[in-house]
Amino acid sequence: MDKVKYFFQQSWLLIVASFCFGLLIAVANAGWQGRILQNEEDKFNNLVVEMIPDANTSEVALENVEVESGKGKTRATSIRKALSADGQCVGWAFTCEGSGFADKIKLVLTVDAGFEKLKGYGVLSSNETPGFGDKIKDQFYRNQFVDAPTTELVLMKLGAPDVKDAEIVAISGATVSSEAVVTIVNTFLGQIKSHMQEKGQIGDGN
Amino acid sequence: MLKNITVSSAPHVSKPLSTRGVMLDVIIGLAPAMLAASYYFRIHAIVLIATCVVSCAGTEWLCNLIRKKSNSLDDLSAVVTGIILAFSLPPALPVWAAIIGSVFCIAIGKMVFGGLGANIFNPAMVGRTFLTASFGMLMTTWMVPATIDAEVRTIAADNTVDARTQATPLAYSKQALKARTGAEAVNEQLGAAFTGEIGGCLGETSALALIAGVVYLLIRRTINFHIPLAVLLSAFAFGSVTYLIDSESSISPLTHLCSGGLLMCAFFIATDPVTAPLTRRGMWVFGIGVGAITMLIRIVGEYPEGVMYSVLLMNAVTPLIDRFYKRIPAGGKASG
Amino acid sequence: MATDGEGTAGLYKDTLLAGLWRENPVFRLLLGMCPTLAVTAAVKPALTMGCCVIFVLVCSNIVVSLMRNLLRPHLRILMFTLTIATFVTIADLFLKAFQPEMSAALGPYVPLIIVNCIIICRAEACASKNALAISIIDAVGMGAGFTLTLCALAGVRELLATGKLFGASVMPDWFVPWAAMGMPVGAFVTLGLMLGLVNTITGKKD
Repeated sequence: MDKVKYFFQQSWLLIVASFCFGLLIAVANAGWQGRILQNEEDKFNNLVVEMIPDANTSEVALENVEVESGKGKTRATSIRKALSADGQCVGWAFTCEGSGFADKIKLVLTVDAGFEKLKGYGVLSSNETPGFGDKIKDQFYRNQFVDAPTTELVLMKLGAPDVKDAEIVAISGATVSSEAVVTIVNTFLGQIKSHMQEKGQIGDGN
Repeated sequence: MLKNITVSSAPHVSKPLSTRGVMLDVIIGLAPAMLAASYYFRIHAIVLIATCVVSCAGTEWLCNLIRKKSNSLDDLSAVVTGIILAFSLPPALPVWAAIIGSVFCIAIGKMVFGGLGANIFNPAMVGRTFLTASFGMLMTTWMVPATIDAEVRTIAADNTVDARTQATPLAYSKQALKARTGAEAVNEQLGAAFTGEIGGCLGETSALALIAGVVYLLIRRTINFHIPLAVLLSAFAFGSVTYLIDSESSISPLTHLCSGGLLMCAFFIATDPVTAPLTRRGMWVFGIGVGAITMLIRIVGEYPEGVMYSVLLMNAVTPLIDRFYKRIPAGGKASG
Repeated sequence: MATDGEGTAGLYKDTLLAGLWRENPVFRLLLGMCPTLAVTAAVKPALTMGCCVIFVLVCSNIVVSLMRNLLRPHLRILMFTLTIATFVTIADLFLKAFQPEMSAALGPYVPLIIVNCIIICRAEACASKNALAISIIDAVGMGAGFTLTLCALAGVRELLATGKLFGASVMPDWFVPWAAMGMPVGAFVTLGLMLGLVNTITGKKD
C-alpha cells in the first residue's frame, strides 16, 4: 500500500499532465483532421489536373480494387474517372504505392481514356534523399512517363530520355528511387488494366 | 613556414630540401603534360591553367591577409595545386567555373585547415569535387582535341558525330559494361589514350607526357616509387580480374591505366606528401586503396571515373594508416 | 543567466538579446545542428522551421515554468519531453492542415523538433528555474535567434544553389546555380564559414 502511495506521490504530475496533453492533441487533431484530409484530396486533384488538363471533375469508377504488390500483399486503390467539362471521359487516375529508397512512395498515376498511353505520374508523398532520390519529382524524370505506352516499362541506365517509349532512363545517382517508380507503375498498371477490362470499363482492345 | 623548420637531429640530410624546391620539381614534372595539353586543346588549356594558377595563388594570398599570417605564396604549393586542378578539369570549362573551383580548393581545401601541411584532403581534389557536384553538366562535357578532325574519327557506337564534344573512353567503357558488349572499340583507343589524342580532362589525356614527367621526379627523388607503383599495380590487378572474367564487356587493364585520371593520380595527386601516409608500408596500403577504389567505382559504380573520390576517401583514412604503421625511430624501437 | 542589466526591464532586455546574439543557439551554443544543416536549403522551409521552434519553445517554457515547483528532480526530463512532444505534435498537425506544402518539404524534421537540444536546454537551464515572464522572453529570444540564423544560412544557400530567394529568381540570367550548395556539403561549408565569421567578429581566437 505504501508503495502505491509513493508511486502516486512521485508521479501524479506526470499522469495529470499526460491526460491534459493527450486531450490537447485530441482536440487539435479533431479540429484539423478534416482539413488535413481535404489537403490530401486537393493534392491528388491538382496532380490529376496537371497531368490531364482537360479534366474538370472526377468520379469514382471502381472502388477498392485489390492489387497484388508482391510478396503476397495486396493493396486497395480506387480508380477515378476524369471527366471534362462536357462530361466526356478524358482519362483515369489512381493512387499507387510501393517502397522507395528511404520510405514508401505514393504516386498518382494517370492514363488516357483508352488506357493506351500514360498521362504521367505525380508524387503524393515520398521521403527520398534530397538532391538525388527526390528528383523523381522533377519534370526531367516525370516527362519520360508522359505518353509512354501502358505496357511493361523498362528502366535503362543510359539512353535517350526525350524519346517517348517504354524505356525509362534512370536518374543518375538515384537508381533505386528510379527503379522504385518504374516498379510501382508496372505493378499497378498491368493489374488495373486487366481489372478494368474485366469490368468492361475499357475495351480489351488489341 | 615549413622551410624554416629544417632543424633536425643527426643524420643530417646533405641536400637542402625545401618546400619550394620540391614544388619547383613537381612543376617541372608537370611541364610535359602541360605542353601536351596545350598542343591538344590549344588556347583552352593555356587559359584554364593560367586561370587556376592565378586564382589559387590569389586566394592563398587573400586568406593569409585575412588571417594575418605571413605570406606563403613563395613555397609555390598554390601554383602546384592550381596546375593539378586545371589538369583535372575538362578543357571546355568556362573560366568563371575554374575560378570558383580554385577559390574553393585553396580556401576550403587548404587554408581553413591552417595552410600547407595541415590539410587533410588533397586541395585540388576538394575543388574538383565541389565543381563536379555543382556543375555536373559542364564537368562532363569533353572536347575533341584540336588535332583530330572531328568528322573523321569517333568511337561512338551509334556512329553519331558530334563536332565539338566526345565522350571519354571511360564513359564508353561504362556503356559497354551495361550493354555487355563493345569493349573492343574502347580498347582500340589505347594508342590514342597513350599519346593523349582523345577527349578527357586537360592533363590526364596524355599518358606519355605524364610518364615523362614522373621519370624526372623519380630521378630527382622528389617522389618515391611506392605510392605510384601501389596504385597502378592494384588497379591493374583489379582490371585484369574483370577482364579475364568477361572480356566482352570490360576494357583491358592497360586501357584502364592509360585512360582517365589514373596515371595523373598515381604520379602527382596520390603522392602529395601532406595527405599521404609517411611510412613505406603505409604508402603501399594507401596506394593499393586508391587503385582499388578507383577501379571499384569505374567498374561497379555509377560514375565512369572514380579517381577523385578514391583519393579523397584514402586521404580520410591516412591518419589511421599512419597510426597503424608508426615510423620506427632511428636506432630501433624504443624499449619500455 | 546574465544579470548585468539594470532592474527588471534591463534583465528582460538582456535575456532577449542573449538569445539573439551573445548566446545565439546556433552560432554560440552550437545547438540544434540537425535542423540547421537539414532544412536550410531554401529560405521558406527554414523560416517555417524557425516559427515552429519558436512556438514549441514558448509553449514548453510556459508550461515548464508554471510547474517548476512541482517537478520531481528525477522525473523532470520525462516531464520536459512530454511537454515538448505535445506541442511539436500540435505544430506538426497545424502545418499539415494549413501549410501542406511546407509540411511535405520539411518531412520528418518537424517531428524531430522533439529532440532539438535548444528546447530541452532552455527548459532545463531557464524555464525550470525562472519565473514565467523571463521564461517567455528567453524562449522568444532564443527562438528568434535560431530562426534568424537559419534564415541567414538558408538565404546564402538558396541564392547560390538555385539563384532564387523565397522561390523568386533574383540572380541575373548568366548566373549558373551551384548545385552543391543545396546538398549537405553546402550546409557544412556555409555553416563553417559563418561560424568563422562570427568568431572573427566577436574577436574569439581560434
